[in-house]
Amino acid sequence: MPRTENDIAIVGYAISPLVRRTEDTETLMMLPTVQGAIKSAGLTKDDIGFTVSGSCDYLSGQAFSFVSNVDAYGAWPPINESHVEMDGSFALYEAFVRLLQGDIDTAVAAGVGKNSNSDPSTLYTIEMDPYYLTPLGADPWSLHALQYQALLESGKATERDVAEVVARNRAAAKDNIHAQVSGDFDVDELLAADYIRQPLRRHDLPPTTDGCAAVVLARGKRAYDLCERPAWITGIDHRIEPHLPTLRDLTTSVSTTQAAKGAGAGDGPIEVAELHAPFSYQELILRESLGLDDQTLVNPSGGALAANPVMVTGIIRMIEAARQIMENGKRRTLAHTTSGPCLQQNLVAILEGDA
Amino acid sequence: MADVVRESVFRLQFPFQRTLGPTVGAFASALADQTLIGVKVGDRVITPPLEYDPENGAAAGTDFVKVGPKGTVTGWTWVPEPTHLHPLQKPFAFAFVTLDGADTPMFHAVDVDSADAMSIGMRVEPRWRSERQGRIDDLEAFVPASDGGPSEGAGDPWSAPEELPVDAMEMFCDLTYVDNTAPATIIWMKSLLEGKLIGQKCPQCERIYVGPRGMCCVDAIELDESHLVDVPDKGVITNFTVITPTPYPGQTETEPFARCSILLDGTDAVLNQQAMLDVDAYDIRVGMHVECVWAPPEERNVDDVGNRGWGVAGDCMRGWRPTGEPDEPEENYVERMM
Repeated sequence: MPRTENDIAIVGYAISPLVRRTEDTETLMMLPTVQGAIKSAGLTKDDIGFTVSGSCDYLSGQAFSFVSNVDAYGAWPPINESHVEMDGSFALYEAFVRLLQGDIDTAVAAGVGKNSNSDPSTLYTIEMDPYYLTPLGADPWSLHALQYQALLESGKATERDVAEVVARNRAAAKDNIHAQVSGDFDVDELLAADYIRQPLRRHDLPPTTDGCAAVVLARGKRAYDLCERPAWITGIDHRIEPHLPTLRDLTTSVSTTQAAKGAGAGDGPIEVAELHAPFSYQELILRESLGLDDQTLVNPSGGALAANPVMVTGIIRMIEAARQIMENGKRRTLAHTTSGPCLQQNLVAILEGDA
Repeated sequence: MADVVRESVFRLQFPFQRTLGPTVGAFASALADQTLIGVKVGDRVITPPLEYDPENGAAAGTDFVKVGPKGTVTGWTWVPEPTHLHPLQKPFAFAFVTLDGADTPMFHAVDVDSADAMSIGMRVEPRWRSERQGRIDDLEAFVPASDGGPSEGAGDPWSAPEELPVDAMEMFCDLTYVDNTAPATIIWMKSLLEGKLIGQKCPQCERIYVGPRGMCCVDAIELDESHLVDVPDKGVITNFTVITPTPYPGQTETEPFARCSILLDGTDAVLNQQAMLDVDAYDIRVGMHVECVWAPPEERNVDDVGNRGWGVAGDCMRGWRPTGEPDEPEENYVERMM
């Protein structure tokens, strides 16, 4: 398909070490990652038309923590900069929309999260409904255990199916230099482990990870100047469901189905899908909601179970889906990001390489 | 000499008040009265009541009905180790409970002795706190129903009083962080304990950052120990503000005080938010020469120094005092706030 000046592609990227705990601040993680992504596209910081990042003040426990992260961009002379209090993939979405305005032809989107400072079981109660959930200490483990149980009750999956998801992702992660958790695991041994929150076991939870990732986007002809095989974002869509999990059928993800439709997922075969499923069983819900069959390779990177830097996990899915095109010669891939409790919000992007 | 802190516990606490509006406020007012309500939206009763129809976003209205108090467990999980945020400080279940007369479940705790006592389909009823303030945790937890039969009065209309007895909710945020100290910050701490100021000099733009921050934010390059330089603990005031204290949690000042920006001699390095000694706040001038007053070595500590804000000197520094030298021309400093 001939590309127009309004087509936008991923042309460069960088991922920081993804580790249980880093000594660096968010800003110090961002500097080499953002500059590394820019360099990977053969650019310098002065070439970038727009910069946007995703991070969360509650992770760092500091108001306006993203302001000091701007230091990582080299913001002199002054730059165009924006921030979303969300995963870096939503920052990428903003960069995509900004590029569609047509007056600039490059942008950088990044995500950063230092998760090791805080306790996920208490921190994320703050993101829940403040009237009906936060006062009860509704923690993500409990809510996700309830979602997992609903899936089991529906008969759509068994605990063995879910343990197989864990084993497959961890095995796939052996080939991922960025993986924090990987290896060969026996399904029966996984099923023998104790419950953290019945029916969730420790291995069904994502690891706590510090990390940063950045991508460079380019528009039209510029993408070909910067990259031999750009990963064109042919569709991107984001849908949100009610924030209270009690108002949704937790065994399916309507917003994922809608976002996939909006992004044009059904317009052709998908060779690889990188799904953001921080809790193992969610991969099964997402596969069904996306209508993926065995023709699609899911999470060859190991997904969020291999490394889960919150605010970065989604943009890494974008990078992994883009890498399949830029480096592995694939034609059409899908990247997915989730946010909010029990798959509340979902973003789907379709990436394509030239024939 | 005090030890360098490599890890610090940071507790983030703040109170806040939420106004509730006509829907959540009605639910809260009913709770205080030991009553559970839902709102009719389309052909469903949603509990706890929502302000909008989740199907289409239309206003849900205020067609309230009584629900429960008994309900049926439609999903549950066991919490073996409660956190301080949970409603019960013993192992308990979180559950989806569909109250009689409601079409959507509510999330809440169930107090039973073990997971073996939990099952989908079990009938439960509320255990109320004796003192209620109109919060969802006025209902301390559900417990197995003494009688599994249907609730009396479920589905009956419920009218909110003209003036809601509960229209606001107090909350208290309490989060704990264990922050590790960045390498550049540790170098800064060590220099402060020795009573000297250090910075990092960018090899490209030659700007000096005090304290070291591991990067040049103009050229976007990393800096390391090879870029460390000593800087003088004397300088000139480039900017200041006089603050009249207002009472807020944590404020200890009672009289007007100044915070100054100080350009260290022979450098580009400006230290911000510095405290002044031996001078009335209203006598401070741009161009004034000042010098650092260090605390005696045995009194220095860096407990307050961390990654959260550059140039903080903990208790190592008492502040800055005028040297008495003639002022520099004020106009030379007008662009040196930072």
